[in-house]
Amino acid sequence: MGPVQVRVAARGAGAVKGKVGRSIRAILALPTIGWVALFFAVPLVMVLVYSFATISLVTFNTTFGWTWSNYRQIFDHLYLDTFIRSVLLSVSATAGCLLLGFPLAYFISRQTPRRQRLLLVLVIVPFWTSFIVRTYAMENLLGPGGPVDHLARLLGFSQGLVLLYTPAAIGIGILYSYLPLMVLPIYVSLERIDAALLDAAWDLGALPRRAFWRVTVPLAAPGILVGCLIVGIPAMGEYVIPEVLGGGKTLMLGNVISEQFLSIGNAPFGSAIAVVLMLAMAAALFGLRRARKLEET
Amino acid sequence: MHESTTPLVPGSRPTTRREFFRRTAQVGVGLPVGAWLAAACGGSTSPSISSSSAARAIKGTATILNYAGWMGKHNVSGFEALHPGAFIKQNTEGSISSGAVVAELRARQSSFTGALGDLAVVGQSIAAGILQPLDWSKIPNVSLVDPTFRKAYSHGVPSDYGKVGIGYRTDLVKEDIASWHDVWRLAPKYSGKIVFIDLDRDCIGSALKYLGYSTNTTSAAQLNSALKALIAIKPHLQAILGYNIGTGLAKGTTYIAMDWDFDVGLAQQSSKHVRWVLPSEGATAYLEGFFALKNTPQLPVFESFFNFFLQPRQYADFVNTTGTAFVEKAATPYINKPIADNPALLVDPVTLKHVEFEEYVGAATALYTSVWDQFKSA
Repeated sequence: MGPVQVRVAARGAGAVKGKVGRSIRAILALPTIGWVALFFAVPLVMVLVYSFATISLVTFNTTFGWTWSNYRQIFDHLYLDTFIRSVLLSVSATAGCLLLGFPLAYFISRQTPRRQRLLLVLVIVPFWTSFIVRTYAMENLLGPGGPVDHLARLLGFSQGLVLLYTPAAIGIGILYSYLPLMVLPIYVSLERIDAALLDAAWDLGALPRRAFWRVTVPLAAPGILVGCLIVGIPAMGEYVIPEVLGGGKTLMLGNVISEQFLSIGNAPFGSAIAVVLMLAMAAALFGLRRARKLEET
Repeated sequence: MHESTTPLVPGSRPTTRREFFRRTAQVGVGLPVGAWLAAACGGSTSPSISSSSAARAIKGTATILNYAGWMGKHNVSGFEALHPGAFIKQNTEGSISSGAVVAELRARQSSFTGALGDLAVVGQSIAAGILQPLDWSKIPNVSLVDPTFRKAYSHGVPSDYGKVGIGYRTDLVKEDIASWHDVWRLAPKYSGKIVFIDLDRDCIGSALKYLGYSTNTTSAAQLNSALKALIAIKPHLQAILGYNIGTGLAKGTTYIAMDWDFDVGLAQQSSKHVRWVLPSEGATAYLEGFFALKNTPQLPVFESFFNFFLQPRQYADFVNTTGTAFVEKAATPYINKPIADNPALLVDPVTLKHVEFEEYVGAATALYTSVWDQFKSA
């Protein structure tokens, strides 16, 4: 067998091996694909189909068709106001998480590996407790006679400070619950920054502040972006925190969807709001990715 | 046979209806009842059907859509012990809103034998064509139910009723409160200390009463006026809650509340400063019961169970567990004194004359939905 024949045979064997590898990978992926198809894709299609249906709120007969009436109803000022309120609350909560999370992540990334591990565990510890339990704990913290109220009185505010059942309570609740989700990806980005790059910036005459803004922050941008997405997207559809800490007064879009499904029984309208919320978040996601790509080029 | 008013489970305390709503765990159904059961059933003076023949005939599993824990501690286990092969399964995943309950029953009709619902749910179920008339010869104990409630809740087994009134703290509110008008008038003064109920018909119905209208109005103009009144008071509300309203009153963090009678009754057990008011304009009220779903194959189990449920001792177990206002006077000797003697839970002709039960409002249901949506979103 000449060298050419050996190469052809080796290539053939490699191709067969590649095909077998692909088949094994496909077989291994099947359960996951099946799971996602059954519990993600199918419900998503059902929500989409329902969003174009109509329902009689008297007999609950659902008529499937292709009406846009549910989508038109969303533009009623009632729901638009709620949408705007949701956007404002989630954006401000995300900004708050970033303001608090970045310095914390920066601090952790500058520690010795052993201390980093300890601090990261402390960041993750709240996740060991149920989300619902943590939210109800906030109820006690922000309610009358709670530590915040007590502290305000100690500081000389005779009326105290009861934040429970206010929009501020919702913001604080989101901030508290989602902060670890902001800290972790930023920490990963910061921790990967090569210290030599900062040394080079200083060697080239950049003061620490300038080096921070021109080197550290841009290199941490992917982590910041991921943090903003994994905080902002779920915060936008948040349901439990506004329900528990908002006292049923300050509705976010998640509450309106839940109200339509669980209280009113208008699944088509609830589905339409859910679809619009998903589209809005997908648009924000693609917009951010596109902006990031443009920035890179 | 010795008859006692001692609670069935020592140290047990009635849990509020709305606490039940929030719970996911079902009430324990496997508790052994042993000698108590034999005594309870054997000593019944009710016109219940003979257990010997029925026990052999009744088999199968009846699934009931219910609030979490809205059943006597021993009702299910007692029935199942009496009827081997017959089982009662309670599904507690349902909503508390009438619209959503009917929507769920309609969508999953074959999964349920029956459901708990107020008059609005019953009316809407009839309109949706999912209600099964009962064979009353199989439920002779229904004769023990007060005729007023039996007549009003004629398509199912009446179980409980409740009024929506005012609870307030006499030590924190200087003025006397006697009406909804007083609540609206005092709202700016006690801004941030007032709680309303997070349930559409109860809340809108109370606003309608404030304006002097019927709880069951179908007038768009009247409902619009109620919406305006609710939106006007909303900035002064501390919260719109579906649970723990009485807890706020008891603690003194809530000064004035739109609340259910039984919830105020429970708060009164914790604080002597809590006062119950049946508003002078009248009160909206709900009358609840259990009804069967059309074409259910488990109808015999359902009927037999609710005949058992209406036996005075069994019904008293239900009332003692839930703390609700009761519809069966024959059960009074077995009902715990704090419930039986509570003025807020009083069932007398004068009180009943003062309340209007929430009923099905037909096509106007959509108007109520719209008002509620607007109030919550405002």
